[in-house]
Amino acid sequence: MAGTQETQQQVAEITGEYKYGFVTDVDMDMAPKGLSEDIVRFISAKKGEPEWLLDWRLKAYRAWLKMEEPDWAKVDYPKIDYDDIYYYAAPKSQNKPKSLDEVDPELLRTYEKLGIPLAEQEVLAGVEGARKIAVDAVFDSVSVATTFREELKKAGVIFMSISEAVHEYPELVQKYMGTVVPQRDNYFAALNCAVFTDGTFVYIPKGVRCPMELSTYFRINTENTGQFERTLIVADEGAYVSYLEGCTAPMRDENQLHAAVVELIALDDSEIKYSTVQNWYPGDKDGKGGIYNFVTKRALCKGKNSKVSWTQVETGSAVTWKYPSCVLAGEGSVGEFYSVAVTNNLQQADTGTKMIHMAPNTRSTIISKGISAGRSQNSYRGLVKVLSGAENVRNYTQCDSLLVSSDSGAHTVPYIEVKNPTAQIEHEATTSKISEDQLFYCRARGLGEEEAVAMIVNGFCKEVMQHLPMEFAVEAQKLLGISLEGSVG
Amino acid sequence: MPDIVAETYRNQMNELAGTLPGFDDMRAQALAKFAEAGIPSPKSENWRYSDLKRLRENALAPAAAHAAPDLPAPLAEVAARLVFVNGRYDETSSDLGDLWQAASIRPLANHLMANEDRASELRSSDDGISMLNTALVRDGIVLSVPAGVEIEEPIEIIHIMENAGQAAAHTRHLIELGEGASATVFERFVGDEDSYWVNSALQARVAEGGKLHHIRLQEDGPAALHTTSAFVSVGAEGSYDACNISLGGSVARFEVKVRLLVDGANATIDGVALAASGQSHDVLAHVDHRMPNTNSDQIYRTVADARGKSSFQGKVTVAHGAQQVLADQSFKALLLDRTAEANAKPELEIFADDVKCSHGATIGELDDKALFYLTSRGIDPATARQMLVEAFTDEAFLRIKNESLGEAIRARVGDWMQTHAATPGNAA
Repeated sequence: MAGTQETQQQVAEITGEYKYGFVTDVDMDMAPKGLSEDIVRFISAKKGEPEWLLDWRLKAYRAWLKMEEPDWAKVDYPKIDYDDIYYYAAPKSQNKPKSLDEVDPELLRTYEKLGIPLAEQEVLAGVEGARKIAVDAVFDSVSVATTFREELKKAGVIFMSISEAVHEYPELVQKYMGTVVPQRDNYFAALNCAVFTDGTFVYIPKGVRCPMELSTYFRINTENTGQFERTLIVADEGAYVSYLEGCTAPMRDENQLHAAVVELIALDDSEIKYSTVQNWYPGDKDGKGGIYNFVTKRALCKGKNSKVSWTQVETGSAVTWKYPSCVLAGEGSVGEFYSVAVTNNLQQADTGTKMIHMAPNTRSTIISKGISAGRSQNSYRGLVKVLSGAENVRNYTQCDSLLVSSDSGAHTVPYIEVKNPTAQIEHEATTSKISEDQLFYCRARGLGEEEAVAMIVNGFCKEVMQHLPMEFAVEAQKLLGISLEGSVG
Repeated sequence: MPDIVAETYRNQMNELAGTLPGFDDMRAQALAKFAEAGIPSPKSENWRYSDLKRLRENALAPAAAHAAPDLPAPLAEVAARLVFVNGRYDETSSDLGDLWQAASIRPLANHLMANEDRASELRSSDDGISMLNTALVRDGIVLSVPAGVEIEEPIEIIHIMENAGQAAAHTRHLIELGEGASATVFERFVGDEDSYWVNSALQARVAEGGKLHHIRLQEDGPAALHTTSAFVSVGAEGSYDACNISLGGSVARFEVKVRLLVDGANATIDGVALAASGQSHDVLAHVDHRMPNTNSDQIYRTVADARGKSSFQGKVTVAHGAQQVLADQSFKALLLDRTAEANAKPELEIFADDVKCSHGATIGELDDKALFYLTSRGIDPATARQMLVEAFTDEAFLRIKNESLGEAIRARVGDWMQTHAATPGNAA
């Protein structure tokens, strides 16, 4: 039976530990540690940026200096020393590689180990069953390779690193960057605006359905570096794109900072589907090391009947602070948020979403599943806001928390603010532990306790998982098992 | 906050020196903390839905004594009636009935005179309003029901504000229920058109097996600021059952914190808030499950008509190791008009795994289908609307044990419905 085999394989893989914890040894080009105006200028110069972008960065930097680190989230971590971080680290290479053959083979091997096929040949050669996914690979501070660019270009889709886009499509970047997440939006967003080093830019022109899934793979490699990338996706009228994002980092004893900004803009009748599998290094059993994941993600449903759907599976990071949001400004626009957040050992996650209903007939759905194991803390924090001019708004929110250990915590902090009587807002939340009956049933059928828990947890998350693209769903399911490893008994 | 505000309150506090035996030091400490914290603004998390702008800018003088107040008619047979006028206990208007035979009941000053060491029991939370209450409390009642004594009829505490002008009244009540004792405390708040401020706090301690019912009917004047709180701790197999009805005031906020300290302690916190014409009603309910096998349930229904705003912040905390906890929260808000507003923040903070905690929150307008159904059965639209709104709020009254009190409160709500629910608001 294929099904049985798959299950056995899955179970076998569950026993693995964090398997992306290796370090790649490549020559790095780095800026000195610390943050100052000079560093901001250095990064800008390194990328040969136009004047306007440097000014933009400096403005953000000056704003950041006056801001305070937010402390309202239910996370606890030692104060970050912003002068002890490398803000720029790039693999050394003479020139920007023109094709994959010119990319440092060491880097290619890294991505191969991570299971990210950067090589297009395989697919182009017509290997059976291989689906086309275009990948932008970001290694520490810079994008090292972007695949399938030519083919995408034929469809009119722009898919490249944001530093290239600044040169090739400055008017598009300038028009949209910072319009969804303003520079002063929050502390980490301002920091990102000042020092962002790379990221992905996607533009889908009018009426185009992007012919393949786009994806960015983020990898933090160098010690003490912060990763600050920006993603900007614009879907023009009637366009559609599905975008995937994955992240890993080596196992290190120090905490590393990741402060990204993602901006999505959906114009009339367009749709953006954004999926994330976040698997940054979570730190060891005693909470040593791991990534601080402080990310600002926001979508602007600008056009009428536009749609943005966030799906996230959060298993990594020592501390997560992340609220992918939708501003529903176009009439009839739709926002969706599907999330699974798993925390184990001493991980802390404070994640959720905001749905801001500004226009009539806008709808939103929030499904959030939190799983806490070990001594971890897992919080859902969300806002559903209906402005007075937004008629016939509909929202449905469901947040369920599953507690796997008696030392973990699960918290729900939803805000609902309604200024229009025609809105129909529903919110439900539950917190409970794995049902003894279900566990007993699985055990009676010969599953070990850990496998049984993994299976029940997967069932608990199914509503969210089914919104992930297929390959991701399989990977995410395995990840859930690995993340919960060692949490039972 | 202008320093002048804290300074004015310091002077007011100095004038109260010696009025409550053994309490002056605690006043001073609370005022020092208040000077730092100030009057909360909507920027502080617990006050995001209530704006006390008026208090941030000006210090309010203490309300002057007022004799022979206009007493509201009783709503039910009561065991005793304790009247506070402008923050002062009014002995002539009060009626202790036979209650003194069953329980100890005396003004705060007398209580502290007899037990000076008990002054430290008057606590304040880390919130400017609560600190100011401690610093400026003038009067209050101390009710102590001995073990095993069950008092059937409600004990009524009336807060009347009359001819107070723009002044404030700070009162503090202490309720103690001995083992297996039971009592119903019925608090009423009434006042005239003046823009006064009533700041009252109630502390209650329920011993093993004790049962405290706490019903509050808030009918303050239309310009009033109302900030009240209840801090309750419940012992083994004891229970605290509250129902809070908010009708009056311009900015009204009630904060209730219940700590379930021992196995088997229970709490239910219900309430209805009806807001219109510029009123803001805010409830913050926090149930803290400290121990295993403790249960809580909250049912809140709010209705907001034109320019009314109703907010609910409910929080359930389950401490580490507090297993086998059941906690439910249900919040529903009905908006009757375009300009009405509702906010909800039903929060769960869980540190134990073997628990069942849930909350549900909905916000919306009257259901057209239900309305159509009723009218198709020959009920006129105005009555149909009223019936639906009354049915909506009624769920929150089901746990009021005293029938006549329940009836009286329902009648009050019915009156409101007649003005606000009978005709369709300026809805869509």
